[in-house]
Amino acid sequence: MISQIMPVARGRDGTPAPGAVVQTAGLTKVYGTTVTALNQLTITVPPGVTGLIGANGAGKSTLIKILLGLLGPTSGTAAVLGHDCATEGFVIRTLTGYMPEHDCLPPDVTATELVTHLGRMSGLPSAAARERAADSLRHVGLYEERYRQIGTYSAGMKQRVKLAQALVGDPRLLLLDEPTNGLDPAGRTAMLDLIARIGSEFGISILVASHLLGEIEQICDHLIAIDAGQLLRSDSVSSVTKASAVLLVEVDEGTDALAAELARRGLSPVPFQRGLMVQLAGDETYDVVRDSVADLGLPLSRMEQRRHRIEELFRADPTVADAASADAVPASPAVGGPASTQTNGVTSGS
Amino acid sequence: MAAKTEPAPAGQVAPAGSDGGVIHNIGYRRYEGARLGRGSIFLALTWHSLRAAFGLGRGAKAKIFPALMFVIMCLPAVVNAVSLATNPSGGAIITYDDYVPSIRTVAMLIFVAVEAPNLVSADLRNHTLPLYFARPIGRIDYPLAKLVAFVIACLLMIEVPLVILYVGNVTQVHGAHAVWEQTLQFGPGLLYGAAWAVLLASIGLLLASVSGKRVFAICAVAIPLFFTYIVAHVLEQVGRQAFRPVPGCVGGVVRHAGQVVCLHPGFHPPALASLAGLISPFTLLGGLLRWLGAPNPSPAGNLQATIIGQYGDIYGLVFVLLTLAAIGGLILRYRKVGVA
Repeated sequence: MISQIMPVARGRDGTPAPGAVVQTAGLTKVYGTTVTALNQLTITVPPGVTGLIGANGAGKSTLIKILLGLLGPTSGTAAVLGHDCATEGFVIRTLTGYMPEHDCLPPDVTATELVTHLGRMSGLPSAAARERAADSLRHVGLYEERYRQIGTYSAGMKQRVKLAQALVGDPRLLLLDEPTNGLDPAGRTAMLDLIARIGSEFGISILVASHLLGEIEQICDHLIAIDAGQLLRSDSVSSVTKASAVLLVEVDEGTDALAAELARRGLSPVPFQRGLMVQLAGDETYDVVRDSVADLGLPLSRMEQRRHRIEELFRADPTVADAASADAVPASPAVGGPASTQTNGVTSGS
Repeated sequence: MAAKTEPAPAGQVAPAGSDGGVIHNIGYRRYEGARLGRGSIFLALTWHSLRAAFGLGRGAKAKIFPALMFVIMCLPAVVNAVSLATNPSGGAIITYDDYVPSIRTVAMLIFVAVEAPNLVSADLRNHTLPLYFARPIGRIDYPLAKLVAFVIACLLMIEVPLVILYVGNVTQVHGAHAVWEQTLQFGPGLLYGAAWAVLLASIGLLLASVSGKRVFAICAVAIPLFFTYIVAHVLEQVGRQAFRPVPGCVGGVVRHAGQVVCLHPGFHPPALASLAGLISPFTLLGGLLRWLGAPNPSPAGNLQATIIGQYGDIYGLVFVLLTLAAIGGLILRYRKVGVA
């Protein structure tokens, strides 16, 4: 896990925000008269890499637009790097790099031309814009390809260009909206590594919006979950993941005997699909399962770490959430959905 | 690659001898230099857009149309200069105010229809606007920078031929007085050309910004401009049929498009013919010229001169209102446009 220590809101932007890069209080955004995108959202984003988790439509993009000063809130306040979003949008947009969710690149220019131009649009003089565009594109791993027209790029390369244009103005904060959208598994891993590196080595704070918890928890220090515009939970990654992980154990035969043995050893196994699910308290849980299986001489076919649905994971009281989800699991087919259950198998660990 | 010359990073040596695939940890360098303010960013966007209007910074294909239209616009001035040089006694055949209205109309129509979409439509099509508005660029800065750039582009198209015309004329006249005479006509010609540039650029950008699809945007500009021009002309011709000389009129008679036209102060052409010119921006500009009092309409210009009758003030008013409406519409368009 990245431990991000470098001081953030320092330097030219005047008053450093004490311990927070983003702060909102009672932030509410109502579109028209009926659609509530954000509802009394009060969050504090610490320096480092922070994940903004929520399903599609939870209000992530609306929050980012308000933070950039592009959208006025209906009520409440928001501040980025100590600057008020409602009145100091220009300063904030000088200090912030934004990577939109959707495709936003012209196909008929080269990456160098585009990023240089956008560097100028960030306020860099032309020589500095050229130099920083070349640097940014190298940082994201585009070398001689950057002299090619963007229309010829793969999805992964386009995402890299989008990240490079957010970096070119030397921001203090990056707002990344679904940076792994449309990437294959290898591309996702590469993009996540890149974001982690920017957070740790470049000393830039990052707010990553995503609906895939399992993906961005690997690179985040802090997680903020929102749903229907409301805060579900805001906590450090370690406390979130420890309390919520479960272990799925499958044996080819003797499931009932294993359940009895695990219960005897102090765990509370719950039947799930063809196996058993036990709450993962730490490494000792693995030991208990291993010993139980070995003592009974059962053929172990599968053992993997799993995660509950995002909403359950972010209930205020994680123990209640786990009990509730454990009960709900056999009846709820949604648990098997791609966004709701994250697997952290032995091979896919970072 | 490194050998292909990055601007060498200050105080750091770029990794040399790299052979693809190797990732160099060049480290992250903060930018400590000066940052440009909103005004300078506005100018940078204007310059970028002005280049785009002539296809600079894009492929060779993008340069064909603007170059062709520019050559066509300059042709009359060059012909004028050559004709004066070979036959100095013949006199200038083109005036500064009208230039050659037919050529100016056709060339500018094509230029505006093809190039206005390049400035505004491409950013809409590629959803590039969020990248702009997430930077220190105001909602009003973007359309205004595009407008300033396109007005300048149209000015270059219109005024450079006038400069060639002026140079061609001045080199063939003798004496300070004659040069001064030319200059007196040249000045208003430039101003009138500016009226063309402002009106066509604002209308062109507004129409082009309705669609992100290039073909639709070109049609959105070309079709209204072309058809209003046709309609205005047809109505004007219909009106002209009734525009007969009045026997025994006083106040002077001129030859006009092969007909004898009475300029009696009490006689006015029919309202239909006089107001038809308001329909199209091109005939509106022609009427504006008549209203401002074209010092000496050229024979070529007279053939297509807009009839304004006693409605000259209306032409002036409509010109101002139409320009303001187009600019206002463009600004509103970008206030509404979605980001992200």
